[in-house]
Amino acid sequence: MSNAIETRDLVYRAGTTFEITDLALNVPTGSIYGFLGPNGSGKTTTIRLLLGLLRPVRGRIQVVGRQVPREAHLMLARTGYVPERPHLYPTLTIDEAMRFHAAFYPTWDTKWADELLVTFRLDRSRRVGKMSKGETGKFMMLLALAQRPELLILDEPTDGLDPVVRREVLMALIEYVAERQATVFISSHLVHELERFCNWVGVLDNGRLVAELPMHAFKNGIKRLRVHHPPSTPGDTPFVLLSREAGDGLSAGEVWVVRGWQATMSQYFDGIGAQLREVVDLDLEEGFVEMLRTFRHPVEVHS
Amino acid sequence: MFDEIDPRSPTPLYDQIASRVRVAVASGDFRPGESLPSVRGLATRLRVNPATVVQAYRALEQEGFVEMRQGAGTYVREVAEERRGRERDEQALRMVRDLLADAARFGIGADAIASALRQELRSEAP
Amino acid sequence: MMFRQVLYTQWKWSAWAVVTTAVAAFTLPLVSVQRAGANTEATDVLYLLGDVAGVGYMYPFLAVAAGITIALLTWAPDHAGRHVYALSLPVPRWYYALLRYGAGTLLLVPTMLALWIGALVATSSATIPQGLDAYPTAIAFRFALATLFGFSMFFALAAGTVRTAIIALGVAPTAIIVTNQIIISFGGPNLVWTALEYLIRLPGPMELLFEPWMLINV
Repeated sequence: MSNAIETRDLVYRAGTTFEITDLALNVPTGSIYGFLGPNGSGKTTTIRLLLGLLRPVRGRIQVVGRQVPREAHLMLARTGYVPERPHLYPTLTIDEAMRFHAAFYPTWDTKWADELLVTFRLDRSRRVGKMSKGETGKFMMLLALAQRPELLILDEPTDGLDPVVRREVLMALIEYVAERQATVFISSHLVHELERFCNWVGVLDNGRLVAELPMHAFKNGIKRLRVHHPPSTPGDTPFVLLSREAGDGLSAGEVWVVRGWQATMSQYFDGIGAQLREVVDLDLEEGFVEMLRTFRHPVEVHS
Repeated sequence: MFDEIDPRSPTPLYDQIASRVRVAVASGDFRPGESLPSVRGLATRLRVNPATVVQAYRALEQEGFVEMRQGAGTYVREVAEERRGRERDEQALRMVRDLLADAARFGIGADAIASALRQELRSEAP
Repeated sequence: MMFRQVLYTQWKWSAWAVVTTAVAAFTLPLVSVQRAGANTEATDVLYLLGDVAGVGYMYPFLAVAAGITIALLTWAPDHAGRHVYALSLPVPRWYYALLRYGAGTLLLVPTMLALWIGALVATSSATIPQGLDAYPTAIAFRFALATLFGFSMFFALAAGTVRTAIIALGVAPTAIIVTNQIIISFGGPNLVWTALEYLIRLPGPMELLFEPWMLINV
């Protein structure tokens, strides 16, 4: 099957507000899919819907080939889940929690689980409820990985973790992906750490999927141009002009944010008597911010 | 050597990794028969998608720099001296292009760069 | 394998309750026999039977209390995490509930056994007047059923949300009673009382609980 996760016309409502509207997700098998969105955009709700923890009002959900929520338990056997907030029984020790979890997953790898315990420096006799945020984060990743799933659904797995722990968790995850070629669906509002790692991006804003495309297309798509002597009306541009603002005090001119930029388009500026001073590549976070800004307030560029 | 991978750069990550290997082979830093870091090891170290490392190694294999042995790793191949020479020249060209682009940002023209280069080389000459 | 883990974890967080109710169940028959025997006019059979019946109310009370406690403890840790963990496990919900139900029942067995053993010990060591008999096994069996009844009733409630529990335990009965009172004030029949009386007569849980519990009887 080509998509590890697929949704169609997904709608979810809590109370009177529609939290998710017409969501059509396509997560290719074997991809590392970054699910981006501001806080409150509905990322956790979407994940809960994918796992069958919430029932949609309308729409189709298919995860690793299984219909959710009808065949949810069959899907869950092959899916590792790290929730936003810890959900384990707090009075159990790490050792007991591991044995409990292992009993439900036939694919559990005890040897690797023990190795990860050592790598993460976790103490078997520690109570789950008494662990620090860092230890909890590492332990939840351990449980999801040792299950050897074909799909990992991670809801802000590194949120609130210090940089050292964050790195440890990511490295264990990458190691697993290198070995198993699993699909990873990772939601985060910490865009920086996703950009080295993900090869697909889905952007959620206010319950709607704003964009879904390969990472390199997303990053290269949007650029910031430093333009001197810009025209008052740009006319027909070969690129899509998303926004234009006065430059910061350092230099005269404007900063234009454009989509679909190609190097040959610099000729356009010669033609209108303006000077293209600089083409700035945006990192994922900036690209994401610009995309959201223009999606929320589309700019009228042709007068 | 691999540590300055820049996700911001327009050059795809796999290409950045591949270039570093190309340059290292061209300069002789990587000897024929030496093995490159494992996909798993490099991906973990750089915190990138393992598929990116695989893509880099495959590109290098296609260009004839390395060979990927099933289950045993990726090894540097014997590359003819003239090929290595060409690679060094191309790398020099790339560095000059970057330099000129950087200079242009500050409004420094190619002439100023050229004379600065001459000055520097004169002082270096024995 | 799954059941073993469910049982182990449930034991871990209910152990104190299991031990307490078992101890109470063991001592109850001893206490009831002792109370009866304290009456030195042991020859007055009617007084003896009266005393036995008096303590008898403790049996169903303990049975249902044990059942309710274990039922609540079964689901307490899940409530803390809002059931997310249980729902994310790769088993159907009904199956998981069944595992928990089985584990809970098993954890009530020590209490049931304790009562039986206590009743046997109490009645074997006591001198029972002529014409009366001891029924330790019968009362133990009845106790086991009552415990199971209490557990089952509250198992479903404990698994649900706090809101459903409040509705089931508080709002619904209150509404019924208030409606009943309104009907009475308008000169109508006391429906609730009639229904209860009828239910007690029928063979079933109500009769089980409300008919007198006599360890020693004719």
